[in-house]
Amino acid sequence: MNVFDTHFDEMACLLYLDEQLEPAQAGELRRHAATCTKCGALLHALEGEGRTLRNALTEADEPMPAHLLRRPAPASSWPWIALLGFAAAGAYTVWNTVFEPIQAQFAQAGFNQDNVLTMLMFSGAFWKGWDTMRGIAESLALVTLGILCLTLFRRRGRRSGGVAAMAGAIVLMALMMPSGAAAAEVRHGDPNYVVPAGEVVHNDLIVVGEYVTIDGDVDGDLIAVTQELIVNGHVKGDVLVAARQVRITGTVEGNLRSWTESVQLDGAVAKNVTAWSAHVVLGPKSVVLGSFIGSAGAIELDGAIAKEITTFSGFARLNGIASSNSSIHAGQVTIGPHEQARGTMRVESRHPPILDPAAKLSSPLQFTLEKRGPDYTSAVYYWHQVLKWGASFIFGLAILLLMPEFFAETMRATSRFYITAGGVGFLVLIATPVVAVIMGITIVGLGVAIALALLYAVSIYAAQIFVGTWVGVKLLGAASSTGALAGRLALGLALLRIAKQVPYAGELVASVAMLWGMGAIGLSIYRRTRSTLAVA
Amino acid sequence: MTSTELTDTLAEVRGGSSEAWGVLYREYAGAIFRFCRRVLPTKEDAEDATTEIFMKVRNRLDQFDSSRPFTAWLYTVASNHCWDMLRRRRVRQDLETPDVETMPLEHPDPNQLEQLLEQSTNEQVRAGLAKLPARARMALVLRYFSDMSYNDIADALGVRRAFVGVLLLRARHELREILGEAKPKGGRAGTGSRATGAVAGEAL
Repeated sequence: MNVFDTHFDEMACLLYLDEQLEPAQAGELRRHAATCTKCGALLHALEGEGRTLRNALTEADEPMPAHLLRRPAPASSWPWIALLGFAAAGAYTVWNTVFEPIQAQFAQAGFNQDNVLTMLMFSGAFWKGWDTMRGIAESLALVTLGILCLTLFRRRGRRSGGVAAMAGAIVLMALMMPSGAAAAEVRHGDPNYVVPAGEVVHNDLIVVGEYVTIDGDVDGDLIAVTQELIVNGHVKGDVLVAARQVRITGTVEGNLRSWTESVQLDGAVAKNVTAWSAHVVLGPKSVVLGSFIGSAGAIELDGAIAKEITTFSGFARLNGIASSNSSIHAGQVTIGPHEQARGTMRVESRHPPILDPAAKLSSPLQFTLEKRGPDYTSAVYYWHQVLKWGASFIFGLAILLLMPEFFAETMRATSRFYITAGGVGFLVLIATPVVAVIMGITIVGLGVAIALALLYAVSIYAAQIFVGTWVGVKLLGAASSTGALAGRLALGLALLRIAKQVPYAGELVASVAMLWGMGAIGLSIYRRTRSTLAVA
Repeated sequence: MTSTELTDTLAEVRGGSSEAWGVLYREYAGAIFRFCRRVLPTKEDAEDATTEIFMKVRNRLDQFDSSRPFTAWLYTVASNHCWDMLRRRRVRQDLETPDVETMPLEHPDPNQLEQLLEQSTNEQVRAGLAKLPARARMALVLRYFSDMSYNDIADALGVRRAFVGVLLLRARHELREILGEAKPKGGRAGTGSRATGAVAGEAL
């Protein structure tokens, strides 16, 4: 009974009706209501209200959708065994055909690590001193990436999720920071940084500025983020540069790794050169004692290169000395009169190379005409398609089983908000690399940038999973078990892969699927992140 | 389906029988769909949720304690799933009502309340329910559609058991407000003496 009058209050009456009161209290209320008109009427009204609610809620006002009435498909084990077999073979093939060759090429260029993760994160591109800590650092990086993924996709523990994400990012950043940074000279804020001739920097040099000129000596590595880098002097370590233009007329005793709009080498590099640029020029006086790997719009190699040459470009001109084997992949290849190839030369191009008669090749040029589109007459081609389908299926299955909530949320975004998802996908596709680059060039954000880039790459691949499942669901109806959903995933991926093989239209299908799927993934991650932040 | 049949069916499903799973699905899919329809904002959400809930049920059937009623467990899985869906859509801000346990609750005029209910059709009540904040709607559906106990409701919503009564009463009040506003004449069922929700704690 409440403290204000002699009647029972509404709460007590409700608890009485729901049989939540202690027997003694219930008895007291019952006796009181039998004699009290007001409380009796209240009980009666509340009971009626409960009845009304029950009737309104349980009334079958809407038929169940027909597709939900379908009997769930029975699942047998042998297709699973076959699927998993194909999938495992597919994964193995993808590893063999994609990752290992890349790894081999990088190893050829001096990235002598044991696996791709190490190669990407801890190779000489960042710091040679990491080699000694590789095992520990690699394990920590894997754990960190795992924490990041779990944090993004976890269902519970939202409050700690944000903290874990931050901690993960910080750990990853810390991992990516060079251990010897404290011993390096760091220069920033000066728009025109110059090491004059005769001056020696006795440490590694990290410099951020609009224009950087090295006329003197750097005893260690040179890391530069700038508009223009000119090295006329001497660098004893590696040169790692992200810049608009790079020109090296001096000497680099280590490796040259550049991410630039254009790079011109007129000096000497004692180890390997790796260049990702719009335009790469190795002038006639340039010397590279290691290997050369270039990915660019146009590559002109007029200098001398002691070890293997590997290029991927729209245009390639070879007019220097190649002391070892060359592997040229380009839209158009020209071999000039001064070319001296002492190893084998393999050219893969859409057009036959233009070979100057004066060029000296130690062995006949091996030319492969790059075919546009797949070779439909080859059985190997179809076998590879099956294996690739298997690989994508096992990846989708992993997402479905390990992150069912994320899978369901992304499927909802795929099926409901396809226009929005397409728009978001376009935005994500364009904006993410830009954001990653901006993060990356600030050095401090390098770890986050790499994590973002990895997530981006995974999203591009995962996009087909959700679009494929959507196709499967559209054809077979909603799945009522994980097995049935996996079946729809398998069917959808197969159809998507077939559609992608259609000339021209296939490219459109692939693009639409990628944008749509990426957008759905982006929306799903955004919702989860927003939810986490809202609760936190 | 009798309890013996249900027990047998569950045992067969656990043994991997697809036929038995089909029987179980057909028996309960309709109810779960209606439950989801009452709780979630759109029909499409309810369809998706129904599918996903049965996936969870199949995957977690080993966790079902057969000493408890199957429907209670099924609705617990369903309500947890729907609650998670709603929560992910950031409806939390309408879920937390500060100081609700000590908030004075209006003592309704029984006559006005009965009059209001007499004038409201099932459809109007459902429309009113749809306008309620997510947690209030969920509480009423769990109680009056699923017949869940206060303990199960507390588990499903992640609140203390003592708070469930307050939640239900508060939801009823909000529903009355909505239904009262929908009527041509004022006639709100909420005047008279006042009481405190804190009594709920004392009563329990």
